[in-house]
Amino acid sequence: MEVLACKGLRKVYGDLEVLKGIDFSINKGETKVIIGPSGSGKSTFLRIMGLLEPPTEGKVFFEGKDVYGENLNLNMIRAKIGFVFQDPSLFRHLTALENVKLGLKVVLKMSDEEATKKAMETLKLVRMDEWADYYPAQLSGGQQQRVGIARALAMDPDIILFDEPTASLDIELTWEVIDVMKDLARRGITMLVVTHEIGFAKEVADEIVLMDSGRIVESGPPEQMLKSPKTERAREFLGRLLGGV
Amino acid sequence: MYFILEYSQFIIEGFYVTVTMTLVGLAGGVVLGVLSALGDVYGGKLLKIIINSYVEFFRGSPLIVQLLIFYYSIPAITGVKWDALTAGSLTLMLNSGAYQKGYFKGAIEAVFKDQLIAAKSLGMTFPQTLRHVVLPQALRIVIPPWTNEYVSLGLSTSALIVIGIRELTNVAVSISAQTFRPLEVYLFIGLIYFVWITLSLKVLDWVYNKVKIPGLAVSEVM
Ligand SMILES: Nc1ncnc2c1ncn2[C@@H]1O[C@H](COP(=O)(O)OP(=O)(O)OP(=O)(O)O)[C@@H](O)[C@H]1O
Ligand SMILES: [Mg+2]
Repeated sequence: MEVLACKGLRKVYGDLEVLKGIDFSINKGETKVIIGPSGSGKSTFLRIMGLLEPPTEGKVFFEGKDVYGENLNLNMIRAKIGFVFQDPSLFRHLTALENVKLGLKVVLKMSDEEATKKAMETLKLVRMDEWADYYPAQLSGGQQQRVGIARALAMDPDIILFDEPTASLDIELTWEVIDVMKDLARRGITMLVVTHEIGFAKEVADEIVLMDSGRIVESGPPEQMLKSPKTERAREFLGRLLGGV
Repeated sequence: MYFILEYSQFIIEGFYVTVTMTLVGLAGGVVLGVLSALGDVYGGKLLKIIINSYVEFFRGSPLIVQLLIFYYSIPAITGVKWDALTAGSLTLMLNSGAYQKGYFKGAIEAVFKDQLIAAKSLGMTFPQTLRHVVLPQALRIVIPPWTNEYVSLGLSTSALIVIGIRELTNVAVSISAQTFRPLEVYLFIGLIYFVWITLSLKVLDWVYNKVKIPGLAVSEVM
């Protein structure tokens, strides 16, 4: 079943055409990884798929419904699409537990008791239950990022989008976050991930998508993409990324 | 010095008026300040122009002149009669609101944009985001600058003398005129202001430390 898709997606900022016509779709249970050079439009693409901003042209579909075409409640759809940012973006005045609870209470209208139970379970999944009462400023970057993942995950979304969640972490912290993400992929959570952690892509991705200058240049299963990419652009970019050739 | 005690009844009444007017002005100022700040950050063009004209007028003219306008000029133009306490309270609220708007705006803008986007991604509406993300942080961040406003407004209430309100300074002037002992009278009244403001500062400091959150302070966001 198709969870999230788009057709003919274009995005223009001023005179700058950042996305130049993208067709894409991801099914329930799949994990797809987006790679591509800096400035190629990966974050912009993800923000539009997460309904954080509208496209200039083209359509976004959530579970088959044309998101901007029909008169839908965008907030109800956003609640079903989790988002994990490069900077953890936690609410600074709330503890880890309260960060996870806020959406459950305010958006999903859970009682305080239900929300606490759900939030604690989710924090446990990302191995942050022991830090439940700490404020963001008291946690390391990797710990904050895992709280960010829990915040998205606790909403029981149909898909979670990740925008380079480990880009601002050092190697050791990157691993603890990547481990949690691999866990989620294996549990069958649908994930669309912008990352250059090729190990993650190799192990759990169903597909690697290469973006360049606002277009999808090539996509395919990891074995094929990493070993025998079809386009010259993909060979060149992956060659540099894998540090060989 | 003991002669002053004979006037303690007047002094207590004057002090009561001073404190009440300060608190009324501050409370009204908080409401006006928060609303103007929200309007200036999130509102449309026309609203911004209105808010900023209001702020500039009250920050760009002397409080005494504002009091005279509210007590004499406005009733003369509009025909609406109000007493000195009403005119004084209104002026203090509007004056303080104009200053507080600046502090609240700074605090609201200090609530990082990334948190607003995170709230949006959870499906929170704008009013929900204001209530649960922006205001709880902005109200904490604003306490230190707000403390300055409290001191400044509290001391400025002595300007109310120009419209005849019987606040502490006005009382002092009367006592001095009756006793011909300005030296002692004004020193004593000055001491009352000093003790009052110092104690208030201690209380506000305590409140700030009570609600402060690690990683969330003016020094860290501004
Ligand atoms: N809100 C915006 N206004 C104007 N230009 C923007 C905006 N957001 C992105 N851009 C521009 O769009 C282009 C693509 O940016 P985007 O962040 O999507 O790239 P990216 O592939 O995520 O890059 P990186 O790997 O560095 O994160 C860049 O040239 C960027 O400057
Ligand atoms: Mg990016």
